[in-house]
Amino acid sequence: MRLRLFAPAVLVVAIAIAAATATGASQASPAKAQADALTVWLMGDAQANWPEAVAAATQSFKSRHPGVDVNVQYQSWGDYKTKFEATLSAGSGPDVIEFGNTDVPKYSAAGALSPLNRSDFPNSGTWLSGLTKAGSYNGRLFAVPYYAGARGVIYRTDQYKAAGITKVPKTLAEFNAANAKLMKRFGGAKNRNYSAVYFPGRYWYAAMSFVYDYGGQIAKTKGGKWVGTLHEPKALSGLTAWRNVARSYSRANKTGDEAHPQQALVFAKGSVGSFVGNGWEWPYALDPKVGNPALAGKIGAYPMPSHTPGKYMPTFLGGSNLAVPITSKQKALAADWIAAFTNTQNMTRMATGGGVIPNTTSLARINASKPTLAPFAEAAKYSWFVPSTPNWANVESANVLQTMLSGILRNPAKTKELATAASERITEILNAR
Amino acid sequence: MKDETAVPLAVEPALVPARRRRRVRPGRAVSPYLLLLPALAVIVAVLGYPLYRLVALSFQEYGLAELIAREGRWIGLDNYETILGDRRFWTVLGRTVAFTAVTVGLTMVLGTLIALLLARLGTFMRLLITTGLVLVWSMPPVVSVNIWSWMVDYEFGVLNWGLAELGLDYFARHDWFVNPIEGFAVITAIVVWGAIPFVAITIFAGLTQVSGEMVEAASIDGAGAFRIFRDITLPILKPIFVILASLSVIWNFQVFSQIWIIRNARPEEHYFLLSIYSFVESFNASRYGLGSAIALVMVLAMLCVTFVYIRQMVRIGEID
Amino acid sequence: MSALAQTAQPRRRRRLRRVVRRFWLNLLGLVLFAVMVFPVYWMVATAFKRGNDVLSFTPQFVPRHPTLANFRDAIDRELFWSSVRNSLIVVGAVVLASVVLAFLAALALAKFRFYGRRAFVVIIFSVQMVPLAALIIPLYITLSSVGQVDRLSGVVIAYVALVLPFCVWTLRGFLAGVPKELEEAAMVDGSTRFGAFVRILLPLVGPGLVATSIFAFIQAWNEYIIAYVLLSSASKQTVTIWLANFTTGTTRGVDWATLMAGATLTALPVVVFFVLVHRRIAFGLTAGAVKQ
Repeated sequence: MRLRLFAPAVLVVAIAIAAATATGASQASPAKAQADALTVWLMGDAQANWPEAVAAATQSFKSRHPGVDVNVQYQSWGDYKTKFEATLSAGSGPDVIEFGNTDVPKYSAAGALSPLNRSDFPNSGTWLSGLTKAGSYNGRLFAVPYYAGARGVIYRTDQYKAAGITKVPKTLAEFNAANAKLMKRFGGAKNRNYSAVYFPGRYWYAAMSFVYDYGGQIAKTKGGKWVGTLHEPKALSGLTAWRNVARSYSRANKTGDEAHPQQALVFAKGSVGSFVGNGWEWPYALDPKVGNPALAGKIGAYPMPSHTPGKYMPTFLGGSNLAVPITSKQKALAADWIAAFTNTQNMTRMATGGGVIPNTTSLARINASKPTLAPFAEAAKYSWFVPSTPNWANVESANVLQTMLSGILRNPAKTKELATAASERITEILNAR
Repeated sequence: MKDETAVPLAVEPALVPARRRRRVRPGRAVSPYLLLLPALAVIVAVLGYPLYRLVALSFQEYGLAELIAREGRWIGLDNYETILGDRRFWTVLGRTVAFTAVTVGLTMVLGTLIALLLARLGTFMRLLITTGLVLVWSMPPVVSVNIWSWMVDYEFGVLNWGLAELGLDYFARHDWFVNPIEGFAVITAIVVWGAIPFVAITIFAGLTQVSGEMVEAASIDGAGAFRIFRDITLPILKPIFVILASLSVIWNFQVFSQIWIIRNARPEEHYFLLSIYSFVESFNASRYGLGSAIALVMVLAMLCVTFVYIRQMVRIGEID
Repeated sequence: MSALAQTAQPRRRRRLRRVVRRFWLNLLGLVLFAVMVFPVYWMVATAFKRGNDVLSFTPQFVPRHPTLANFRDAIDRELFWSSVRNSLIVVGAVVLASVVLAFLAALALAKFRFYGRRAFVVIIFSVQMVPLAALIIPLYITLSSVGQVDRLSGVVIAYVALVLPFCVWTLRGFLAGVPKELEEAAMVDGSTRFGAFVRILLPLVGPGLVATSIFAFIQAWNEYIIAYVLLSSASKQTVTIWLANFTTGTTRGVDWATLMAGATLTALPVVVFFVLVHRRIAFGLTAGAVKQ
């Protein structure tokens, strides 16, 4: 009688799990190949924008290491770090992993990444300094520069013409004057939705450029400790300049960011004169499915001008790096794949096909003849980057900058107060533990 | 009405023929332990070690470096001191309790009303509405919260558009999340909207256990709808109500993804609930020891809130 | 007026009142349906919109240029069919295992008095209070140590363990609501206690079983973070991971129309499952119950 109840229950559960396992097992490759396979974690961008580069790297790698399979798994920006840490904790994980460059210091400082030799990788002598700095810690290299992105002003050439703006602004003052003309011609009562420059409140990548342009910075080291410096006079000037632009010429959401809704798509709707965007946002605005292809030929771009004549406003040098986790059992092979992936030929593919900035200055001119890509490469001449410390990632997760920026837009009188609060919070987080 | 099933066998000679009483000795039949074993085995096997780890980690310093070395540093109660000494923790705790109370209350009331309505409708309407409820229930948060996010969008939202069309110009290009009260109104709507289907369908399932004959007998005797509900329906539904309410409290206390998604993965501090505070302060910063301590504090808080129910359960031993 | 007519009038008035009441109730039902389902409608409408009509200053309640292109894009997208298949496998296994195990456990907790019962009840209740985020990494380590990482079976086991407390708890409540006379009535027929359970209680808690299985189905279908962390291979992905790839997969924008088309398609199995089991909810005590 006891069996009568026990057996069915166990049987049902066993069948259920067996069914799931059987399917799982039939999909798993033979154990031997799995043990020798190289696992590579790349972001979906690679799959979408330069799949030939990935294929070429794998092919070249396999020709040198015939017995080894390459298993490329595409990850999501949203939760990839949680997943990575889970694998670390179990002592397993990928052999190659792509990180956003602001995320690298945290992992290199904790010893999660395997140190690499610069000389093993192509073009290492001419790597972009911003990416190299992000990938290094205490003088050692932990993550190879992969690609970078720079921002410029993408604008409607027809609207500029209609508003009487004859030449591209070369200083911040000219930029503001141009925006004023645009607002007069298209905005205000004529169209309450119109923005001369679409600047969502939490778009810190573009807003902080103003701070760096005026000589300020987010934080600096002082006697071995980090100190937030957003409340200092130069930074405040930058914040004030940004605030004026955003409040006078933008009707974007003060608590929104540049991706929700995607600013290039808002631009494509027609009620926007210009916005600060990455190179890929230009063709995205023209996307036949989600954009407005009718705008082709009416779009241009130029580097965001500085308040100092003759310079550009420093642009945030975003990008990715490639690292080899310390838990990898095939570190040499992993480094070899990375070298194959970041060689000159693949970099050229990424730059021309994907519209990104390659990791080496030797290829900096590659898109110079392309009007849609040249301004961004040009803008990359002046760049800024976040404080290079492992705790920076925690400042990003705590949204300190975004909170400050949207607060300033809503309460302009409290700019200094909000900047001071942000500085204190940054000091606290950067020095934690 | 006292639960009939709590009356032990010995006092029911009238119902059960004396001859049969001998057959129903509990000891001879199936052992309850055996019935419980499979479920317990799965829970213990899968969650046993993680739960043990959770408690152990809360007394350790366990960051990235320790994760890689696979060994933590014992620091005793330091994590707990950090949490309980953080002013922000207490604010967030209070906010979470208030949020839970409001959402659970609304969910239970609205869910019950909908269940009662379902009981009185014809087959077609009932199927239509329950299918609608299941559609709502089955939407994954990543989809439903994004839809809500557009509906309340600053520029492109249908809500702002509709209200502006009605002449309420305040809502033209209105950002619902600048003011936390408005923001939480939206978040409450999303949470309650998502929670109602389950509550309504479960209570409706319970309503089917209410004998139709009893209700008809009562109404022929002249009892109004409210008295029928109070005297016949409510007692039978009571166990289910209490279950749903306690589960709703547990779930709403841990609300995370609705706020996370509607603030685009970067919620402002005045939108922090405990689970978001926990995630941002600890897991997102790879401080697993602190995160585990916060999780245990949350469990403690939930135990306190559902304490009354647990005490009643344990003391009365309501079911036999 | 004749005697017949005199009694006919109140009857007609009662009937009229009932019809009017029915009308108002139906109207209320329709309004409720419209309000609750509006976001779902928006999702489906967006699935039929052209990509650049999704963001519009004047919202389009009905797509001005309806198109099936999004559905085609969603289905053509890599891994759509495999992720649906994986999700179906996982969900099927989870519902089956959790309902069976939970029913047995709920029987024990609701119908027997035994040593440690109260402790079990409190434990099962309290386990649900532990936030999932805190369990992810230890869970990964546990499953990794038995080789259940990157396997659908690992995900099934994890999900069963996570929904069991709820299922046990709810079924216990339903079982508690069944009066003891019914068990007695069954046992009068000469069956064992367990036989009585299966033959009498099982149908009576049918509604409870349905509600529980729908819950287990939906939890397993929509769960994201555990599936994402446990499964690495693209071939093992579930539907929620596939959907999430739309929003955070690349740094470029989100193709909302295609996402909504994909979401609409992936909502269908849940609806189908519900339609298959919904009739069980309506069957009540009338099936062989004790007369009052």
